[in-house]
Amino acid sequence: MIFLVEETLKRIQSHKGVIGTMVVNAEGIPIRTTLDNSTTVQYAGLLHQLTMKARSTVRDIDPQNDLTFLRIRSKKHEIMVAPDKEYLLIVIQNPCE
Amino acid sequence: MNKWTNTGQGPGLLISSVPGPTATGLGEPQAEVEETLKRIQSHKGVIGTMVVNAEGIPIRTTLDNSTTVQYAGLLHQLTMKARSTVRDIDPQNDLTFLRIRSKKHEIMVAPDKEYLLIVIQNPCE
Repeated sequence: MIFLVEETLKRIQSHKGVIGTMVVNAEGIPIRTTLDNSTTVQYAGLLHQLTMKARSTVRDIDPQNDLTFLRIRSKKHEIMVAPDKEYLLIVIQNPCE
Repeated sequence: MNKWTNTGQGPGLLISSVPGPTATGLGEPQAEVEETLKRIQSHKGVIGTMVVNAEGIPIRTTLDNSTTVQYAGLLHQLTMKARSTVRDIDPQNDLTFLRIRSKKHEIMVAPDKEYLLIVIQNPCE
């Protein structure tokens, strides 16, 4: 099982344009990352909060709905968040224009 | 008389323009906005389209009043949070687009200086 996770993370990280990949647990603590410590901690904390807010937005609109994916596009890059019950998968990429 | 005058009274008042020839001085840009909104709304899978101003008040919508007000308020807050997240990470960066995918549909938010364009669609699986 863990081998599969490793392979998936490697596959994503080696994708063209991907700057960084990280896995964050339910408390916002990063448990895997390809970026340096301070960047990771910053992204993990902020994106964990934003994802919680996005999830509650979706549930406020419809309590039977749930967040499945979040894409935050900015001028410089794109952040994708795939939430799960226990973890968040966060990928930062340079979108191919 | 300028049909686009917005009295700005609370979230319950939604202004929807009469399509066609517009008041003096608003002709072309207004028509372009209308065309764009129509084009988006007629796209396959689009459930609703709305334009929200900087205070979270919807100024155009294709959905009913209560749904619009709910979406406008919640998404305005979420967009502000997303924007400040991006700026906290890098003060020289800025939010350009936000996609919130849920089990039932997808919400796309295109923020601008003064407005938010919100589109709700059923993504084509």
